[in-house]
Amino acid sequence: MEREQIRERLASAASMPKDVVMGASVVTMLGDFEACIENYRGIAEYTDSLVRVQTKGGQIRVTGRRLQIEYYTNDEMKVTGKIKTLEFIDGRNRE
Amino acid sequence: MIRSFVRWLRGYVRLCVAGYSPERFLNMCCFHQLFIWGLEPTGKGYGMYMSVRDFRKLKPLVRKTHTKVTLEGRYGFPFFLARYRKRKLFFAGLFLCAALVWGYSLFIWDIHFEGNERYPDTTLAEFLKSEGIAPAMLRSRVDCPGIVKAIRKEYNDIVWVSASIDGSRLKIQVKENEDTFPEEETLTGEEAPSGDDSGQKGTPAVSDSREERPVDLVASADGVITEIVTRSGVPQVHVGDAVKKGDILVLGRVEVVNDSQEVIGYQYHSSDADIFADTQMEYTDTLDLAYQEKVYDGKKKYQPFLRLADWTVSVGSVRNKYEHSERVTEETQVRLGENFYLPFSYGMKCVKSYSLVERKYTEEEARQLLSLDFKRFCEDLEEKGVQIRENDVKIHLYENSATASGTLFLNERITEESDTEILTVERKETDESVGTDD
Repeated sequence: MEREQIRERLASAASMPKDVVMGASVVTMLGDFEACIENYRGIAEYTDSLVRVQTKGGQIRVTGRRLQIEYYTNDEMKVTGKIKTLEFIDGRNRE
Repeated sequence: MIRSFVRWLRGYVRLCVAGYSPERFLNMCCFHQLFIWGLEPTGKGYGMYMSVRDFRKLKPLVRKTHTKVTLEGRYGFPFFLARYRKRKLFFAGLFLCAALVWGYSLFIWDIHFEGNERYPDTTLAEFLKSEGIAPAMLRSRVDCPGIVKAIRKEYNDIVWVSASIDGSRLKIQVKENEDTFPEEETLTGEEAPSGDDSGQKGTPAVSDSREERPVDLVASADGVITEIVTRSGVPQVHVGDAVKKGDILVLGRVEVVNDSQEVIGYQYHSSDADIFADTQMEYTDTLDLAYQEKVYDGKKKYQPFLRLADWTVSVGSVRNKYEHSERVTEETQVRLGENFYLPFSYGMKCVKSYSLVERKYTEEEARQLLSLDFKRFCEDLEEKGVQIRENDVKIHLYENSATASGTLFLNERITEESDTEILTVERKETDESVGTDD
């Protein structure tokens, strides 16, 4: 945890983008029907009501209805459908 | 839009992935840079789209993740070709189409003119045709600099020409000389006066010989001079002088005098001057109040027709027994583009029956007609550069006619050319001096 904090301070001191320095994932929401996720490791689970995406620090949980992955590449994915919630789960604490 | 077209062109497939851990399969696809779109969960696993090229690289991943991939559909151009590969005529048509497009693109199909106001398109097109340039000629035979030269040579008051080939269209841009006065236009055509500053290469020989012709300027109408600007010649009148028609305004003969002020010879010039004078003009216009009006009774006959060269096909007839009738024929020639006329036309002949009824203009109508005529007359004058200072034209109504009459007070250019009288000096030595002067 020490290292994480140092990194965060460094990033804010040098005003560098945190997604690059800390490997934080970038989630862009457009209304409640589109979510664009960048900086992730992979898909952990995918049904039409739940998408779990593994990231560096934990998981992102998107729930909703008729969820569909419009495209899926190495650095970006787009989820469309009726999105209800978006949660960040600390993977390590949970395991 | 473009992206989906490219996908279609390269071909793509729809897959269904099922098994123990299809998510791992997806992540491995990502890792190996295989592009996936339209991912959705189905009953057993996931459905997705993938390009054909990526699909070929899928085998090791499938083996590694122990999933089962089933092909659900094939889309795109490669599959389309494969499906219709036995339809030889279709491919022949495709090839023929491409060949025809290429073949037709070797020809000029249209000639487009820009910037011409004085010369209509048809005139220029006819001229080009006489030069051997017409639609349906080979593109490689078109000589653009040659066209430019020919047009400049033929038309003196086109001061700039550009010819370029734009696809299968020959584009000709011209710039006409707008500075020439409408009155001088006739001169421009006939004798290239010194006032024409377009600097034509082909004409100096002509203008030289013209300049040597001695010319006086004489009054073309009675009037009082208001302005005189002489460029060559000896002015004979001043501002404020009253002149009569035929009076000499500028003399083209310049006297050469010796030290004792004796005339020893003459130099002759082509006079050139702008002389304006106040003139008067009588105007009368008579209108008969009784006239015959055509009253159409609605009886009509139509005859549509098609014409191919000299061969005509028509439906119906326009033969009739009407007492008075009017025949109108409209014919439209079919053309490709702007100037490529095909030997094929269509049209309509129409006969309308009418009867003549005696009518009489009311006072108001007669006034309107006469004043409209007068207005047009004034506009014509102003177009010629004549300034109207005043008019006292009045309309008089009589029993059977109406008259507009009066005087127009104008200010106009009143010069007219006439040959200078050649005088000879009798003394022998002066003749010699004339010879040396020239």
